[in-house]
Amino acid sequence: MIRDLVTPGMPVIVQGLTGRSGRDQTARMLKYGTHIVAGVSPRDDENSAVPCFRSCAEAVATTGAKASVVIVPPLSVLSSIREAVDAGIKLVVAITEGMPIHDALKARALVREAGVHWIGASTPGLAIPGKIKLGFLPDISLAPGTLGVMSKSGTLSYEVCHRLVSRGLGQSLWVGVGGDPVKGTRFADLLPVFADDNGTDAIVVVGEIGGNDEEELAQRILDTSFSKPVFALLAGRNAREGVTMGHAGALIGGDGGSVEAKANALEAAGVTVCARIEELANSVAAAIKRLTHNTEKMTA
Amino acid sequence: MMLLEHHAKELLGRSGFPVPEGILVTSARSAVRTVALPAIVKAQVPVGGRGKAGGIVSVKTETELDAALAGVMDMTIKGHKVRACRIEASVDYSAECYLSLSVDADAGGVRVVMSADGGVDIENPVVRENILSQVVAADLTHVDAAISALSAELPSTLHSALAEAGHDVARQFFALEALLIEINPLFVRKDGSWIAGDAKLVIDENALPRQDGLRALIEENAALYPEAALKMEHGFDFVVLDPDGDIGLVTTGAGLSMQLIDELVARGHRPFNFCDIRTGGFKGDPARLIQVFRWIVEGRNVRSILMNFFAGMTDLGELAKLMLVAMDGVPEMTRIPVTARMIGNGLAEARAVFAAAGSPIAIETDLESAIARATARARPFS
Repeated sequence: MIRDLVTPGMPVIVQGLTGRSGRDQTARMLKYGTHIVAGVSPRDDENSAVPCFRSCAEAVATTGAKASVVIVPPLSVLSSIREAVDAGIKLVVAITEGMPIHDALKARALVREAGVHWIGASTPGLAIPGKIKLGFLPDISLAPGTLGVMSKSGTLSYEVCHRLVSRGLGQSLWVGVGGDPVKGTRFADLLPVFADDNGTDAIVVVGEIGGNDEEELAQRILDTSFSKPVFALLAGRNAREGVTMGHAGALIGGDGGSVEAKANALEAAGVTVCARIEELANSVAAAIKRLTHNTEKMTA
Repeated sequence: MMLLEHHAKELLGRSGFPVPEGILVTSARSAVRTVALPAIVKAQVPVGGRGKAGGIVSVKTETELDAALAGVMDMTIKGHKVRACRIEASVDYSAECYLSLSVDADAGGVRVVMSADGGVDIENPVVRENILSQVVAADLTHVDAAISALSAELPSTLHSALAEAGHDVARQFFALEALLIEINPLFVRKDGSWIAGDAKLVIDENALPRQDGLRALIEENAALYPEAALKMEHGFDFVVLDPDGDIGLVTTGAGLSMQLIDELVARGHRPFNFCDIRTGGFKGDPARLIQVFRWIVEGRNVRSILMNFFAGMTDLGELAKLMLVAMDGVPEMTRIPVTARMIGNGLAEARAVFAAAGSPIAIETDLESAIARATARARPFS
């Protein structure tokens, strides 16, 4: 599972190392402590912080990399994922926004076939705060703690986690699944990861209109009798049907995808659904305080 | 995004899929009426449920056509102002069937759905129980096999029509990189021939860079696809939500921008717009900010502007400089107070930039405080 795969010292490569954002993000990840061992790019960059290879295969053969962060143009994401999978990479984090959905269908089929974990596309990445960051989750919102966070939207999750961190509540693991409809990892896929993790006390879900990730998550909570408290914030109550709101997946169609449908499903599964960021932060803080209090009583 | 029925039918028709003769009119007084009567006047909006909303009217005479056109062109359906109507020739048929292909995001494949009973009956629970459906791998071979298998389960009078129509739709589905093609109803005639009663085509905006035909369609019909055309031209999202809205938003990040709108509505305000300006695409140029400012000052009731920049990557000092240049470029901005929530890299520089320029922009680092300030400023003078 992803939690076992993502270890602080795991060797990571960056596909698209020499692009503007590839260069910037590599520097930031290195600064955070992520063990980036190499990059892949069709061209050289004398100033690159890590060795640059022409192909994934070469990079992996030389460095033993297990994970890759893909920072390439939208129409190249599929071929980059294929290259990573062929080279033996076990975890691919595709940051790029704008990957065509038919490409995502192909990528999903090929990573499943190969048993590779794929996060994204269109994700700010994932992090175990204080240890490793794959992607660009902002430092100001990251702190070690006991909240398991899963989010569709980057910016909204930054805001939510920033407020929680300012209340002293950090994250055990934060995974941005991305705002695309067809993606490598969905909310429900992450539930067992958090269920098995002793370091996770509660789950924060940052969802939004479109797709059925939230409904599927609700069903999985019920099916697996998931027992940790879950809190959700759902954006897009005032979106209009038939208008895409920024994310490729953020679209209410005639057949569902509204906040109301998602909130109903999640509430039926025992999830605390909040309408406002402040309300979510307060609810989570109160619940964690109760949990801590109970644990202290039990150990006393 | 969903194409208008007229364009969906044009695209399908061009590849040989039979569709009724029809024309698009954008005004109730349009002179060109080449469609033979009886006909159907159909509102062209990118949502379902047009029939229930009264946006589809059958007409037998010129007088009825005029009245129907005037009525439908005046409608707003699910928040979408009717900007065009398709006038379509009525067709004879003996059966109304259902056919659709869609991306199943959950299963990661293509869902093929067929039913001998289509039209509005597709909502009927009894009909729904008999719907044939299969999810298969997202390639033409598997989808074609599913179409053959499903259509074989239909009554013999419909079998070959649904199979042939299905294979046609499948080719278009992959060629256009569609997310949904739904033909409901698919009219089947006594002789086994068929024709599309309605056509719903949802395309993938992410695929537009390599879908030349679809890109051209949106460019040529920019007035009918304002959001998509805007995104193609400018590279970011801006949606007018409420032309009478009181607060203009200059924000980055789709999720946080949507949530901000929800937070404002919960406080009784009416945000003018949704915006995901994508600061990452500025590259030192104030053009995007200028464009967004121009659109916002067009809002006749906008009395306050709220900006929100949670800078993960953006340098706020640089952003502040661009904001000043952009404000100078749009003189009308001086009449609207601006509250800027900024947090992240370069906050101190941003403060210094505004102070040095004597700018009246108020910086808040906390979003709740920024919302409070911006909403207080939007209150009407009493």
